[in-house]
Amino acid sequence: MSAERVDVEQKVLSANDQIASEVRGRLAGHGVFSVNILSSPGSGKTTLLERTVDLLKPSLRLAVVAGDVQTRNDAERLERHGIPVQAIETGGGCHLNARQVSESLESLDLGEMDLLFIENVGNLVCPSSFDLGESRKVVLLSVTEGEDKPLKYPAAFRRAGVLVVTKVDLVPHVEFSTQTAIENALSINPDLVVLSTSSYTGEGLDSWAEWLTGQVTECKQGS
Amino acid sequence: MHEMSLALEILSICERELGGLPETQVTAVGVEVGAFSGVDADSLQFCLEAVMSGQFDGVRCEVVRQPGEAACPRCDRAFKVMRAPFECPECGSLARGFSGGQGLQLCYLEVE
Repeated sequence: MSAERVDVEQKVLSANDQIASEVRGRLAGHGVFSVNILSSPGSGKTTLLERTVDLLKPSLRLAVVAGDVQTRNDAERLERHGIPVQAIETGGGCHLNARQVSESLESLDLGEMDLLFIENVGNLVCPSSFDLGESRKVVLLSVTEGEDKPLKYPAAFRRAGVLVVTKVDLVPHVEFSTQTAIENALSINPDLVVLSTSSYTGEGLDSWAEWLTGQVTECKQGS
Repeated sequence: MHEMSLALEILSICERELGGLPETQVTAVGVEVGAFSGVDADSLQFCLEAVMSGQFDGVRCEVVRQPGEAACPRCDRAFKVMRAPFECPECGSLARGFSGGQGLQLCYLEVE
């Protein structure tokens, strides 16, 4: 029997993308703006979210879906700030997928939500491949990581809409040129919105909160 | 390391494509991996061979890297890129940004 070639031409992640598209539709139906936060482990995702929640909670209805390989530690930290949080323990998985987010949304009231943060598993590689149905991807880069991270892990920086440089209060103590890091990120993705922040001193957090609030307003007008 | 879950996804697409033809054997599978997809082509090759050969004896897995494309800001030439920085092969100028090279696609199956 001779071999026959069958053209398939199918995206490998089409099953995930289909669920992501349903999630996007559900969120848009309720006028919820959502961000999928990507970074290496230890870049300060949870701390940035804690500060952000404190800043925005008076004016916006917030919720978080927090992913980790194991433990509910991040979710518990965020719950203490008085907002609804759903934890996803991937049990070894190195990224969140759309199905996990879709299931988490079942336990959250989308009608009582303006802004949803999805804190991905700390990993700068795998999460970038999976659409979760978010409005925008935000990538964090802490100043202790090295300014060439965007060149080493281009996919995350290419797919993100915003780069948040974190821990800038530590710049005097490390060999890190914020300008070079930003240049590297822009060489991968010239359309990135770039913000520099310190969750410790509060520097730059107002701009970040302002960007988020602006996006929420636009999202409400579009829905 | 998400290449194993991607390999399993490719296997399940293959099985769906073969639906209703249980006697059909897959002899080869062709996959394109964007150079900027966040997927490591070598790891995917390894995982795909492990997963597919469990189901289809002697299957050949062809994993091909697809480049992105950048445009030179000086001489306007379009050129293929596999990694940053994106240096124009003609004039050496650095391009900012690129398009393509981000997909992960199951292109074909060979069956008998």
